Amino acid sequence: MALSRLFIANRGEIALRVLRAAQGLNLETVIGVSDADRTSMAARLADRALVIGPGPAAKSYLDARLVVQAAKASGCDALHPGYGFLSERAELARLCAEHGITFVGPEPDMIDALGDKLRAREMAAAAGVPLVPGSGEIASAADARRIADGIGYPVLLKAAAGGGGRGMVIVNGPAEVEAGFHRASAEAQAAFNDGTLFMERFVPEARHVEVQLVGDGQGEVVHFGERDCSVQRRYQKVVEEAPCVAMPDALRRQLHGAAVDLAKSVNYRNAGTCEFLYDVLREEIYFIEVNARIQVEHPVSEMVTGRDLVQEQLRVAAGQGLSVRQEDVVLTGHAIECRINAEDPARDFVPVPGTVSRWRPPEGEGIRLDSHMSEGAVIPPFYDSMIGKLIVHAETRDAAIERMIGALDAFEVEGVPTTIPLHREILRDERFRSNRIHTRWLEQDLFADQRMAAE
Amino acid sequence: MSGKDANDPTFSEVPGLPELPGLPEFEVLIEEFRQSGLRELHARCGDLEVYLSQDGDASGLDAPRVSVAAPTARAAPAIPAPAAAPAPAAPSSAPAVPEGSVLVTAPYLGTFYRAPKPGAPAYVEIGGSVSAESEVCLVEVMKLFTAVRAGAAGKVVQVLASDGDLVLAGQPLFVIQPE
Repeated sequence: MALSRLFIANRGEIALRVLRAAQGLNLETVIGVSDADRTSMAARLADRALVIGPGPAAKSYLDARLVVQAAKASGCDALHPGYGFLSERAELARLCAEHGITFVGPEPDMIDALGDKLRAREMAAAAGVPLVPGSGEIASAADARRIADGIGYPVLLKAAAGGGGRGMVIVNGPAEVEAGFHRASAEAQAAFNDGTLFMERFVPEARHVEVQLVGDGQGEVVHFGERDCSVQRRYQKVVEEAPCVAMPDALRRQLHGAAVDLAKSVNYRNAGTCEFLYDVLREEIYFIEVNARIQVEHPVSEMVTGRDLVQEQLRVAAGQGLSVRQEDVVLTGHAIECRINAEDPARDFVPVPGTVSRWRPPEGEGIRLDSHMSEGAVIPPFYDSMIGKLIVHAETRDAAIERMIGALDAFEVEGVPTTIPLHREILRDERFRSNRIHTRWLEQDLFADQRMAAE
Repeated sequence: MSGKDANDPTFSEVPGLPELPGLPEFEVLIEEFRQSGLRELHARCGDLEVYLSQDGDASGLDAPRVSVAAPTARAAPAIPAPAAAPAPAAPSSAPAVPEGSVLVTAPYLGTFYRAPKPGAPAYVEIGGSVSAESEVCLVEVMKLFTAVRAGAAGKVVQVLASDGDLVLAGQPLFVIQPE
């Protein structure tokens, strides 16, 4: 069934991105915005814009009933949730189904299953996808020693009831097991009133790699290569690239195969990302989770494949199937994305709402900007601090880095502080340029260097 | 489901372009108000309402949509660290507080929450005792939650903002009577 009118249940740059994909497919567009986003670019460019609630997201973008009622009231036959907000809430998909609206995403039960980390791990294991070697409950310090010897050091002891790093101890060798077990168990007991522990292999040098895929829900799954998102701050991605050139080709093929196998095994429908930890020293990959939505960093995959992933998403939602087969997806060159956030690097990256008084983005060959900003645009205090994504594409990683540096240097923003200066520093750093980075590199090394330089 | 539910909400259309002030313009408004010599200003624009007063005893509006209890300091401390220099809240424009009491101010523009999560009891109530390290509220901006500490040991004698209010950088939130 062809779709005719799409409701966009999101804001910011992704609302604009979805709007443009929909317009490219000749769909009418309606956006539901909060009061704080009345004047946003997506509200101006959509065929219709409805105010669904006040600024705070809980009363607007996060209220599934309001969103679906607005979609129904405006005669939409499909709804795109973007990322964040309600995009991975089965409730929204269920309400859409109840009201005869096509949800651009997986079936509600699939959202629930993939959202539950343990169930997702079971699904991955059943599909033969590698998981981090680990244990069940550990009975004693002697038991811990036996399991750790089997897994290989270093290992991470974790509280079964835990979270937030409490009851978590790294054990580097056999001599540390007994003391580590008792310390972790005591911490877990104190924090969660439950001293039960389990164990995982600890990966000291990990990269975050993920496979972009789209499934049509009829058994067909196509992957669009992998991304490397190892530059992170507080588990938030800062810079993303495609492909992951730090990975040997044989392992890359295994990575793609694992992601496609998993998606096929559950007859996945929608764009999705299968995330993995890449253990650089052992050259192994371990499944982390599946994100059942379009992701922030999808443009780097679009740049290296030349495909429009949001349009593919709309196609499969409409039951029209993918426009490409796997053999049609050819990866060319290298792409890098820098997330531009309205944050103050001088104040530990505190987000700063405000008004953009000057906005002069770079332009040129191989440069793409996904942003909802313009001069005079207001950044409300209620939502995410990301105000744009700067993406470049070039023949090689080195050329892409040079192109990104030129683009960042030309980018002028005034009115709010941004993370552009941080990106200039990252892209110029020798360790980034020679690709010797890992998920803790930014915080552990680059920021530490900055602190030392400041002292 | 057919037809229209009695409780279906209605949605307002975004017409051309409405002329609501952007939120950061409040800071400009406050600055202009401070320099104007006016004693009080009560403005309403659409369903947005602002009350500014130079009078420390002013009670403000009952349920202001955006409450600005008093003119606030322009330059607020980055993070309310107890050891940091006192917030440069201009004494002349701060709310009337008992002699020797301490103001707890917002670290930045954001949403003020009195409890650690929805439905939980408030961190502190009027009359409650706090230590300098006690957390008294959360201020959230763009998903970043910062727990604000009392900064002084004593008794909470006033709460100057309501749960869910948008507060400005440096805006007074609590009055603590040191003990």
